[in-house]
Amino acid sequence: MKNLTDAGEQDSGIRWKSSTLRNAKNSLAGIAGYLALLAMLAIMVSIFGYIIQGGATHITLKIITTNGNTTTGGILNAIIGTWLLVGTGLLFSVPPGVLGALYNVQSTSHGGIASVTRLFTDILTSVPSIVIGLFGYLILVIRLGMGFSLLAGGMALGIMMLPYVMRISEISMRNVPAEQVNNAYALGADTINVAYRIYLPQAGAGIISGILLAIGIAAGETAQLLYTAGWNNALPSGLLKSPVAYLTYVVWYGINQPSAYAHQLAFVSAFILIIMVTALIFISKFIGRKGA
Amino acid sequence: MDTKNKFFNFLTLLMSLLPVFILVSIFAFVFYYSIPAIRYMGVRFFTTYLWYPGIESRPPIHINGVTAPYASSYGILLFLTGTLISSALAIVIALPLSFLSSMAVELYVPSGIKKFLISMIELFAGIPSVIYGLWGIIVLEPLLFHDIEPWMRDVLSTVPGFAGEIYSGAGILASGVILAFMIIPIIVSVMVNSFDTVPAEIKHGIVTLGATKWELGKYLITDYSRMSTYGGTLLGLGRALGETMAVLMVSGAVVNVLPSSFYSAINTMAAAVASLLDSAFFDATGMSISALSELSLVLMIISLSVNVLGRRIAGRSVLRGEEFD
Repeated sequence: MKNLTDAGEQDSGIRWKSSTLRNAKNSLAGIAGYLALLAMLAIMVSIFGYIIQGGATHITLKIITTNGNTTTGGILNAIIGTWLLVGTGLLFSVPPGVLGALYNVQSTSHGGIASVTRLFTDILTSVPSIVIGLFGYLILVIRLGMGFSLLAGGMALGIMMLPYVMRISEISMRNVPAEQVNNAYALGADTINVAYRIYLPQAGAGIISGILLAIGIAAGETAQLLYTAGWNNALPSGLLKSPVAYLTYVVWYGINQPSAYAHQLAFVSAFILIIMVTALIFISKFIGRKGA
Repeated sequence: MDTKNKFFNFLTLLMSLLPVFILVSIFAFVFYYSIPAIRYMGVRFFTTYLWYPGIESRPPIHINGVTAPYASSYGILLFLTGTLISSALAIVIALPLSFLSSMAVELYVPSGIKKFLISMIELFAGIPSVIYGLWGIIVLEPLLFHDIEPWMRDVLSTVPGFAGEIYSGAGILASGVILAFMIIPIIVSVMVNSFDTVPAEIKHGIVTLGATKWELGKYLITDYSRMSTYGGTLLGLGRALGETMAVLMVSGAVVNVLPSSFYSAINTMAAAVASLLDSAFFDATGMSISALSELSLVLMIISLSVNVLGRRIAGRSVLRGEEFD
């Protein structure tokens, strides 16, 4: 490759070197890039490998079908507790998320509020999870008297899930052709009709993909739950004042215990979590892509 | 329009304002709960690293109109240092890896496996942080302790910060490495996106002028789309600053001991809140909880400012590797 001369040099500001050196650099960068990808692949394989191997070798029917206290027994209470918490989180995030998205998507033309809520929604996702946990403890657990409970833990998760549901719903609703919405309004449809007949059916796949992503992320969260859900050696007895067990707690607490069985429980919980979360994320991606 | 529709419209507006309401409440309440600690510690909150819950058997003291346990001290210097060092280290590790891998994915790798590789990188953002913590404890810490840290000490013994005692694998390096993998997907996402959104004429123009792939990639990421790169890095930093569980598990979670080298155990602001809150329940004056609220407030202000700045500069937000425009 011939080097460029004067004018090009001046304009681009790039100091061209001899082409052999440039080609060598190019190949070197390619090799470095492949090495970087390989290193990341290796670490991904290592994470999945260790967790899956550790979980698969220790998992027994007894562990997943009995309750336990992170050092003895099983993890059934934690498995069910995780789903109860995520389910409660859904109650507090899906209805407001989808409704809020309906407002935001329709108010793009007259900006104002929607751009502010969009900014705040994004900021809300970057609030550190432990801060949501502390807030949940101070306000929900203590001030509102919920105690360590399903409701407090679920609401803390809901705070974290809401922005994901709202923003992804809004983005998928934005793909609905504007003419269709305008035509519907011109034909006399009201907002409820437009929401039910146009936005929800057409953006449904996208909304569900957002919800699945939020579930996947919420199921793997810990810090919000430490001081809102607490821990329970059995299933919670109700919505209020009865703590809830969850899988991430078993991982965190179990691996720090000086007992081989606790480590075993931690691995089994991590195994279930990683399978569940990756599956949810991939299904979410698949549905999202199909919907778009 | 009938009442039902008016109500529905109002409801959607209300719900779209819910995130605003939640965020403002979090700020307001966390600030409200910090007031006693602000009055008790004042500026010393930032200038001392001593975190001591006080002596319970002695009567509490009254200062500036607030009550605190005898001899108690709440200083966040150690946690602040830990957060900044571990996040900075994460960026130092993540940035070159992100740069190289997004360039490889965009320019060098056969297009057939591009999608697979991008999904793989995104998956790093989806792995729960306790799983990173678990992996850190069983794989990374022994590796650092037995192999990498002794090797680093031998090679870099004259460099400040790299000489010193190695007590365990938990600490600054382990935290930095784990955080790096959590933020790589965010930075890669922004870089790959900036590749994809550069107009084809510009790319073709650069190639026609005889640029190699490396020159094209370097130019696009560090020059043409450099604002995206800065923004993406800040978004990654914002995530690293607030990460709790993984760091809690691999940092050593020390209190009252400042790090002496890169092998030292540390603690971060987020991890400190998580690990100190349960003991704070037993403080009858409530000052420990107030101090942890102030710590959360400071953490939130730092991490949200970085995120907002990153979002502004990158012109979009990336949450766990998911692109939001």
